[in-house]
Amino acid sequence: MIDIIFLILSLIAIAGGFGMIIFAQPIYSALSLIVCIIALGGIFALLSAPFLFMVQIIIYAGAIITLLLFIIMFLNIKDDNLPEEPNKISTIVIGGVLLIPFNYLILKSFAAMEDKPMHILSNGFGSIKIFGTELFENWLVPFEMISLLLLAALVGAVVYARKENKSEEK
Amino acid sequence: MADSLLSYISLAMILFSIGLLGVISRKNIFIVYMSIELMLNAVNLIFISLGRYYESMEPQVISILIIAVAAAEAAVFLSLIVVLYRRKRSLDSDIFNILSQKSAS
Repeated sequence: MIDIIFLILSLIAIAGGFGMIIFAQPIYSALSLIVCIIALGGIFALLSAPFLFMVQIIIYAGAIITLLLFIIMFLNIKDDNLPEEPNKISTIVIGGVLLIPFNYLILKSFAAMEDKPMHILSNGFGSIKIFGTELFENWLVPFEMISLLLLAALVGAVVYARKENKSEEK
Repeated sequence: MADSLLSYISLAMILFSIGLLGVISRKNIFIVYMSIELMLNAVNLIFISLGRYYESMEPQVISILIIAVAAAEAAVFLSLIVVLYRRKRSLDSDIFNILSQKSAS
């Protein structure tokens, strides 16, 4: 049963990823990426990470990609504004073939690790309480640095997006 | 199949390769950005499957930090795109070459 769920979710994720790099219109690509990310969230749940599953759905699909969709609609992109990509498919095929040895090496190194059962744990592993304890006991400094990074990103976004002076315009 | 680490790693590597292909083969700047997001997600998947393998919580914490970095990246990147699109009326990633010149026209 778990195997079937895993297969379906991974096929949806791979199809969403392929759709993302193949569609010409960015709006279809963003929708494919949302499908891919939600399927990945399901796989996180299979790996006993229920909190990350919620974060993936709420923050990734619900906030980041929706912000991206909002910006794409806000810019009101016409077909003339899209760049021309005549060699898209051939580049993807050639690049995919060239990436096979790289993938092979990485998978070979992981195949050397001994197999352990990866079924869903029922002792609260991945729950919010254990997660929060780990985050605030051992990862407090990185957490604070992330808050500084978010503040810097906020200031940067405001500086970029404010109205430009007329003297700066072309 | 869902019981072995290798299948999760394979899925993550496939998604990472798709993201890398998107970055190197597309010129549309939005799709380059989305491919970067896909690569971040694939790395998250590797972290979480290894965390399940070793029954450790640390990879999940690292994943949440990666998601926070991705959110910060989204804000800065999208505002930059809005400014550049207003000036150049194009989504070609070559518009970013104005960032390399001293006197950006």
